[in-house]
Parts: sequence; structure tokens; C-alpha cells
Amino acid sequence: MANLECIQEDAKMDMTPMIDCVFLLMIFFVLVIDLSQQDLEDLILPEAKFCVPDDSAPNVRPIVNITQGGNIYYKKNSYYEAAKHGENYRGIEVLLREWRKTLPLKLKPLKEKAPISKTNPLVPDDPVLVRADKWTEWHYVGKFMTECSQPYAAFWKLELAMSEEDKELKMIRAAAALAR
Amino acid sequence: MARKTRRQKQQDEVSKEAEMDMTPMIDVVFLLIIFFLCIDFKILEAKLPAYLPKDKGSQPEEVEPQEQLRIKIVCENAGTRKARPRSKTAYYLIGHKVTYTVGPKKIETIEELKTELEEIYKDPEREVPDPKTGGKKKMGVVVEPGTDVVYGDVAPCVDAISTTGFKDINFGGGLGSSKTGAYAKQPKK
Repeated sequence: MANLECIQEDAKMDMTPMIDCVFLLMIFFVLVIDLSQQDLEDLILPEAKFCVPDDSAPNVRPIVNITQGGNIYYKKNSYYEAAKHGENYRGIEVLLREWRKTLPLKLKPLKEKAPISKTNPLVPDDPVLVRADKWTEWHYVGKFMTECSQPYAAFWKLELAMSEEDKELKMIRAAAALAR
Repeated sequence: MARKTRRQKQQDEVSKEAEMDMTPMIDVVFLLIIFFLCIDFKILEAKLPAYLPKDKGSQPEEVEPQEQLRIKIVCENAGTRKARPRSKTAYYLIGHKVTYTVGPKKIETIEELKTELEEIYKDPEREVPDPKTGGKKKMGVVVEPGTDVVYGDVAPCVDAISTTGFKDINFGGGLGSSKTGAYAKQPKK
């Protein structure tokens, strides 16, 4: 009888390690799959020497990514591929029109004190954040900016993204150390 | 086989109870390792404001031209491409060099540019009339990137301009298109 009680006590399952593992996995996935980073392509941004960190992001701020090859991405979707589209910027126009249509933008009249009219239309007051690779040729960024300033889009507030540290320099140094 | 005395049994139990359970400590250590591994993914980014002409294409009235500070970015050496570590397609440029021209003055480095901008900003003679208030305001800045200039040349320049205090930053001087980039290879629409 006493032996049977001992066996029953041994057979009790200890849930603690399982719960530990579940918590570990949860924390891991929460940190890795960060939804706020979904808009960001894996680009190496130029190092900021003087400016302030981007702590207070506005509620509405579309983030556009421009790769080294001049491809334009928004939320992981490609809207313009330099090698394929060349000087056909229809994709950028589609993207900007989509923003004007779907994003809850704060609109303000061009001349704030004057009444809204054809010559004084409503223009977005929210900024667009441009993230481009450090070595992206400027004309790709410039072209995107030109499209932003067209009357159909009228996104006049732009922000250029920079990084707190030079990630590329770190990578080159690490590669050189490995080679040694 | 000798039977254990009651005292020996008690001693065994006490030593068993005194054994330290390492599991929670290992758990915590793993948690910390995972946390610090993951936090590296998020590199803090900074932003720079730049404003495009707000009223392009919709301003019927003539606006009186105002004096603006022109900063030209000239590529002295486009550099040679080298594959970026841990990447199949990306590259970086070795020997890439640009200079900045503020008015007639040629500037070599971004630090010198910042110093020059600070001097201009402090100079009351470089202020322009403000049509809104009737008083004076700091002049606007136009950044003009040239051929073969990259984003990594323009963004630090805008960084220096905006942190100096200039609010009205615009871009001009064409698109500074590359002679070798995709623009040159592609047929027109």
C-alpha cells in the first residue's frame, strides 16, 4: 500500500519547465516579430552626426524604402523597379494616390487663413519618411520627391531617415577581423 | 550491508534539502541572452525634416523671389564598388568623395560645413524679409546634389543644415542623375 502511494507521487507531472519554455518562446517571438518594424526594409542608413532620435513619430506617417538599385517599397510591396520600369514612374503615382485615398491624413488648406478653393486646395500635413540605403544614388530619391510634390499628391513634408550608428562600418570591420 | 542509523538518515535529508536548484537561474540567464540578442535588431533611427515646395502647380499668384542659401554637393570621386559583407547584391563605394559649395566657398568635410552654416545662421545681415510678419527671418536653404551623389552624401548635409536651425530646406539642381545608373540604361517611356 505504501509502495503504491510512492509510485503515484512520482507519476505527478512537473509543469514548471513547460511553462518556462512557453514563456521563453513567447518572449522570443514578441521581440523578433515586431509589427512596427514591418514597414522597414533591411537597408543601411547613413550615420547621423548631429540630429535627434526619432522618438515621437506622428500617428500617420507612411514610410517608403528605396534600395540601392532604386527599387521603391512600401509595406514590403514593390511599387517601382528601376531596372524594369526605367523612366516610367506610374508605380510611384499609384502609391501616392493610394496614400491620399486610404490613409487618415490630416489635411490643411494651402493658405491657412484663406477659404478652400481650386487655387487653395487641401494638402496633407502629415510627413512621409524616406528611408534609402547609404549608397542609393540620389536621383532615385529625388525622383520620388518630385512625384510627391505633384498636385495630385502634394506631400510637401518629408523626413529623411538616418541611423544612430554606421552598421556597414561594423560589418566591414567584423569581416576584416574574420579574414585575419 | 550496514543499516543507516537514524542520525545518518536525518543528515542525508538535510543535505538533500540544502542542494541549490539551478533551474530558475538558468531560465533567467537564457531570458537575458534572448533579450540582448533580439534588441540588436532594432537600431535607433533618426529623422531629418525636409520640405518640398508646398504650392507647386497650384499657386497662380506671382511670388517675389527671395534670397536663398545654395549648397551644392559635387562628387569629386564616384569611387569603386565592392560587395558588402553578408550580402549578395548590395555594395559599398571605396574612395567615394564629395565636396560642398556654399556660395563661392568650397568645403571639404561635413564638420566644416556645419561650422560655416553656424556662422551664416548667426549673421544678422544674412536674414531676409518675412512677408508674413513684415519682420526678418532666416533665409531658406536649397540643397543641390550633383551627378553621382548618393543618399549618404545628402542626408548628412541636411542633418547639418537642420540642426543649425534652418527651417526652410528645399532641394533643387535637377536630380543629379548618374551616368552609369539605371537611368542611363533604360529607354524613355
